[in-house]
Amino acid sequence: MAISVRNLSVDYSLPHGTAHALRDVSLEIQKGELLGLVGESGSGKSTVAFALMGLLANNAKVISGTAKIDGKSFDLTKPNATAALRGRGMAMIFQDPMLSLNPVFTVGTQLCEVLRRRSPGSDRKTRIGMAEDALDKVKLSNPQRRMGQYPHELSGGMRQRVVIAMALLSEPALLIADEPTTALDVTVEAQIMREIIGLRDRIGCAVLLITHSLGLVTEYCDKLSVLYAGERLESGTVNEVQQQPGHPYTRMLFDCEVQIDRERHADASENRFTVIAGELPDTRQRPPGCIFNGRCDVSFADCAVVDPGDYPVGNDTEHSARCLRLETP
Amino acid sequence: MSGLVVTLKRICSERDGRLGLAFTLAILVFALVGPLVSPDPNAINIKARFAQPGLTHLLGTDNLGRDLMARTSVGTRYALTLAVMIVVISSIIGSLIGIVAGIAGAWIDRAVMAVFDIVNAFPPLILAFALIALYGKGSATFVLLVTVVFIPQFGRMARARAQTLRNLSFIEAERMLAVHPVTIVVRHYLPNVAGPIIVLASMNLPVVIAFEASLSFLGFGVQPPKSSLGTLIKDGFMSINQSWWPTVAAALVLAIATLGATLLGEALRRVIDPKTASVS
Amino acid sequence: MDAISINNARLRFGETAALDGVSLSIPQNKCFGIVGESGSGKTTLMRAILGLQKLDQGDIRILGNPLVHSRAARKQRANFIQPIFQDPAASLSPRSRIRTLMNEVATVLKEPLATTDERLRVILNRLGLSQSVVDKYPHEISGGQARRVAIARALLMRPSILVADEPTAGLDVSVQGDLLNLLQDIRRSEKITLVVISHNLAIVRLIAENAIVMRAGKVVEGGDVGSLFRSPREAYTRELLAAWPSITQAGPPARLVDVQDHGELGL
Repeated sequence: MAISVRNLSVDYSLPHGTAHALRDVSLEIQKGELLGLVGESGSGKSTVAFALMGLLANNAKVISGTAKIDGKSFDLTKPNATAALRGRGMAMIFQDPMLSLNPVFTVGTQLCEVLRRRSPGSDRKTRIGMAEDALDKVKLSNPQRRMGQYPHELSGGMRQRVVIAMALLSEPALLIADEPTTALDVTVEAQIMREIIGLRDRIGCAVLLITHSLGLVTEYCDKLSVLYAGERLESGTVNEVQQQPGHPYTRMLFDCEVQIDRERHADASENRFTVIAGELPDTRQRPPGCIFNGRCDVSFADCAVVDPGDYPVGNDTEHSARCLRLETP
Repeated sequence: MSGLVVTLKRICSERDGRLGLAFTLAILVFALVGPLVSPDPNAINIKARFAQPGLTHLLGTDNLGRDLMARTSVGTRYALTLAVMIVVISSIIGSLIGIVAGIAGAWIDRAVMAVFDIVNAFPPLILAFALIALYGKGSATFVLLVTVVFIPQFGRMARARAQTLRNLSFIEAERMLAVHPVTIVVRHYLPNVAGPIIVLASMNLPVVIAFEASLSFLGFGVQPPKSSLGTLIKDGFMSINQSWWPTVAAALVLAIATLGATLLGEALRRVIDPKTASVS
Repeated sequence: MDAISINNARLRFGETAALDGVSLSIPQNKCFGIVGESGSGKTTLMRAILGLQKLDQGDIRILGNPLVHSRAARKQRANFIQPIFQDPAASLSPRSRIRTLMNEVATVLKEPLATTDERLRVILNRLGLSQSVVDKYPHEISGGQARRVAIARALLMRPSILVADEPTAGLDVSVQGDLLNLLQDIRRSEKITLVVISHNLAIVRLIAENAIVMRAGKVVEGGDVGSLFRSPREAYTRELLAAWPSITQAGPPARLVDVQDHGELGL
């Protein structure tokens, strides 16, 4: 069963005007699939997660948007539209695991709480057994001991594992991971990503991975959506997008990624790095035409005037991008 | 200067802030203008003893027929001058000592904190009696006393801020440039310590005003014939059977002054230092 | 003579050894990378090199001069070595105008203000900053500008060594190249020794000639970047390289790197 978000638009009211942080963003994730939502700072990628979870800041307002999760439709413009889903239907992994953990309760108490909410009738012994089992599944050493520990006694990677264990116990239909490994070291990052994939394989949920790292997406995700200044510029399978980026922004983003195996001049000072010149447009007053126009290296006259639609790229029906160059007359 | 306007605007955006600002301004005007428009505060006029408030004596007269408007405004001016002087001196000295202790650490820090602890160990009134016994009554003794009592408060706050600042990149960048330590303290520590210190200072103003009044009430503050809010309340209190008015007039001015300063200080804290304001 | 040489640096914070016998030498006019994960001691090592952190044991030489923690020595050292801190906005004193911060350099150098101003004009130009930036307060400029202002201030001291702490941390990929290219330019035109502390292996590999990999306060291995990353001798270096997420053509299904679970440190 697919999970979908349609036409999500979110505004933030700021002291100097209203920022249109998201404009008509749509996403679709199949069960058991990992969708990477890639964007730089200011792209609105976290706003997508917060709008879905109903965790938007007070100055934010969902202008339009519906979500379809587990066969049910939700009107996201209503406050607390998805409240019923939190915990059971949807789970979220934040960049900072302490946002999901209560510092005054032990790991065990918090895991058992998840189970108690899910199945109120179960007895305490079973719950403890299941919680320990979950900790073991996310490869946390010595689960019995961890159950009695407080979050602050654990390292960042271990805390993130506990959060994943909580998600494992709540068996959500959709797992949203918002920069889950950004604060972690690369070796721990690889382990945590493996646990997230392990979790998906165990409960077959859909995973929305929100990240700024294309490397992470190409390495772990099935599909990819590129967000820029509040608009989805490209979407498709990782393979397709990588081989044939439909949008210049996607291509430039791939070029900017510093590859570990890139060719290297012997004189290190000769090595240059790719940059996307220009700055993010002001989302308070969206300029007409393509949102990426000012920074694009292949733009033409129409780009400043015509708002591009979502055009298919190549023969793949799933692969599309918002670039006028793809328009077929 | 626009910072000041913004601060004032934000203070005025809530009821307590507006009230505090209004009271404080009223007291300031009273203290500045009052003595200019009223008769000599020490002129005795036995015929007009315990006069009711009226056109000749706006706030009535006391047991010697002295004009209460003049006496309370002079007393307010005196209290305000003392309070501002004390708070300014103790906050500057306290900040500098605190910053130095916070930067230096090690034994200097421990020694400074020990001295602060010793000073705070004495109840202010007991310390006041001891100092008065040593140096006699008078404003100089009072200023010295309250300044000494207040230094640790400012010192502690400045020290805590300095300890945080010490490890911040911009202070380390200054050190890496080998900028003179005095320059670093004055230009980079002080302005960044100032916010919470100003708030603390403004909240201590009413404390000093009330403390001065209580010492004067007990007869250890200003000496006659000079007037202070504390002596006015005491004198009025002694003759309260003949007329309740003198006591109420002085007490009202004291209440408005301390309430106004407290409300203003609280509002200022919410504007400048929202973090500590939300905690308490 | 080496730009920086460190012999058997040791430092403990309570129970943990932040630096556990670190020895290295950094050649002049080259870029040297210090790579490691959190807790590896790379930041402590940087602070020790800058003279912001005293060592328990061992010695550090900057251009042959032993690093001493006296005001006179610090003053002398300021002419040789300058830092570029991780958060550039935080390395500018928030309540001083940028002009004030720049004038401080003139005072330190005992140089006429006009001379410093002239040099500053040239530096600002080269860093692509407008001259009017000096009239602003740090909070009035963008993060990217603040980064350049911090670099300009360091360059005003005419250092021969620049130490950059995580220069690309928190930067988007589309703009990080700009800063790296700038560092490359400065390095060539100023004949500067650049020390880059970073967790980003890919960037260090491209920008540095030599590098060390640190872990738990020790140097795991080091040497010429080309061979270090092509054929690492130590298992830990290989592990780091394997875990680095890279844009692979392998594509989905997700390729899982087999990372050896070496347990959680310290607990």
